[in-house]
Amino acid sequence: MSSLKLDRVGLPESSEALRTEVRGFLEANRDSLPHPNSDFSSGHDPEFSAKLGAQGWIGMTWPKAYGGGERTFFDRYVVTEELLAAGAPVSAHWIADRQSGPLLLRFGSEAQRAEYLPAIARGESYFSIGMSEPNTGSDLASVRTAARKVDGGWVINGTKIWTTDAHRNHFMITLVRTEPGSERHAGLSQLIVDLRNDGAQVRPIRNMSGGEDFNEVVFVDVFVPDDRVVGEPGNGWQQVTSELAYERSGPERFLSAFRVFVELVRAVGDNPTDSELAAVGRIAAQLMTLRRMSVSVAGMLEAGKEVAVEAALVKELGNNFEKLMPDMARLAASDRRSSAFRRCYEETMLLSPSFTLRGGTREILRGVIARGLGLR
Amino acid sequence: MSEQRDLIVDTAERLFGDLVDKAMLDSAERGDWQQGLHASLVENGFHELGSAGSGTGADELFAFLEVAGQHAAPLPLADTLIANAWLGTIEGASGIGEVDGDVVRDVPWGRAVRRVVGITQGSREVVVITAPEVVRQGANMAGEPRDDIALTADAQRLQVPVDPGHWLALSRVALMAGGLRSALAQAIRYATEREQFGRPISKFQAIQHTLAVMAAEVAAAGRAADAAVSAVGSEREEAELAAAKSRCGEAVAVVAEAAHQVHGAIGFTHEHRLHHTTRRLWAWRDEFGNEVAWQRKLGAIVVAQGADGVWDFVTSGR
Repeated sequence: MSSLKLDRVGLPESSEALRTEVRGFLEANRDSLPHPNSDFSSGHDPEFSAKLGAQGWIGMTWPKAYGGGERTFFDRYVVTEELLAAGAPVSAHWIADRQSGPLLLRFGSEAQRAEYLPAIARGESYFSIGMSEPNTGSDLASVRTAARKVDGGWVINGTKIWTTDAHRNHFMITLVRTEPGSERHAGLSQLIVDLRNDGAQVRPIRNMSGGEDFNEVVFVDVFVPDDRVVGEPGNGWQQVTSELAYERSGPERFLSAFRVFVELVRAVGDNPTDSELAAVGRIAAQLMTLRRMSVSVAGMLEAGKEVAVEAALVKELGNNFEKLMPDMARLAASDRRSSAFRRCYEETMLLSPSFTLRGGTREILRGVIARGLGLR
Repeated sequence: MSEQRDLIVDTAERLFGDLVDKAMLDSAERGDWQQGLHASLVENGFHELGSAGSGTGADELFAFLEVAGQHAAPLPLADTLIANAWLGTIEGASGIGEVDGDVVRDVPWGRAVRRVVGITQGSREVVVITAPEVVRQGANMAGEPRDDIALTADAQRLQVPVDPGHWLALSRVALMAGGLRSALAQAIRYATEREQFGRPISKFQAIQHTLAVMAAEVAAAGRAADAAVSAVGSEREEAELAAAKSRCGEAVAVVAEAAHQVHGAIGFTHEHRLHHTTRRLWAWRDEFGNEVAWQRKLGAIVVAQGADGVWDFVTSGR
């Protein structure tokens, strides 16, 4: 059973120096920050991503040989939380930096690392994740999209869905069934699909807030050459699950609604009532605690520890916080007229249903935690 | 975690695990002083944790209290260790309450301790009473003795080197963090033993999710408590303490309720041990400022930063 004890980890002094640097950069690039909330899927801005790449703030923990910075998880943590809190448009490179790059580093071939990683680190190459399908959501092992072996490569047929930014990004690492007749965890592989050249059809799906961020991606006899298989064919399940720990513990899991809190504090101003103070304090207490938990997980990652359960804990609490906090803030601000607060609240509220879905639903995460408690 | 703190926690774990049982908890609830447990703790020097010359500080003191909370140790340990640390004179058992006119209110085990300390919120001056006279016997909702003690003219007035209200609130934070862990552990144990519909109830998804939610709350409370302990004596002391008292109190609401739900009717009996933990959690979240009281303090600190200073405030907690 996991001890559920999050290590007492603080950020080192050197990371704090980096924080000052990031804040200076954000101040200098104020014009690129039009996004009132800090949701990490809210701004796709290749120019801004390239600027971050030039700063060395993408692929920070990767080897220098692949364009990385060989820096610590703490440094990466500081950069990501500063960008999110400022509402910076980071979604172009976000998945490539957080997930696809580390996946390629761990399982990719030497040629793949050399081809993809430096461009990701420069902030020029963007990735999507091809996991869910119309009939495959939480039950990821039920994927049906299949790739048939042909001379020199694979031919894909099937449909992926909820693929964030597939209509804007360059590549999608796609989970497909490569062994005909295989079931569940066996016979799966990850293929790199070139979204702009391979012939996959990408159709944006409008979400309830009016935005078009996620997509349906349809494959009809789409050919992908052999050198775009990630890792060993058939090893896809193991690779996919290792990828998820990266996805679950970062500051994006509790900062999606952060600007609502800022606008609440602004709306309350310098003559707060007791009940407004209590609401601000309640939210602050939860936020401060979540951040410490998330930093602890970064520290445990840095120390090379297994953090799947701890990451699930942070995501479970963090998602609930970012989902429920706008509502606490709304009621707390009842007696205040602030159009800035109202706008920020409404925009976040309309995105909030997705917070406990993406990256693993609440129900799946509770299952991961239960397994960590020895109940499964 | 420091090696010394680890060692203290392990030793305390063993000692409480061996000595604190249901019979002792029931006896204490009837108001009987637990001399055996008290003597063992003093023999092992635990009452000096955090005191000058002991080689330990606030870190070890509050880590020990977390273990005491986990075992619902039925003695005024927070008071004893804290009074020894503040006053520099070692006494086997002390009780600490708030001064209210001519009495010191709600002193843990005031009837049994040799020394009583009275504090006033916001002041570093305390009163020390060496021959306590009980004017009213009472108990908190956990049945832990809370007695009013006469504030007599001969009481000594002393300055202490810390904010007394902060330390006492932090003691309840540490006790809660431990008690919460225990409530979760008891619920997990029960769920894996209890069978219904032909299998342990821990195999049902509904129960697993309840336990997972509890686990997340327990982890959050533990991390918040640890942050507050780390901040003792720093400029973040009040903010981190406020966050922890609020966050732990919120965790109590979820965890105590869920622990009882998992246990079913047996957990509602006096015969079962669970209530010794849950009733303490409900008592401790109110003592020395409940969630709202501390949320207001933290809210005032945050609002004073201004909206554009909020993020800097959050990130300067290390």
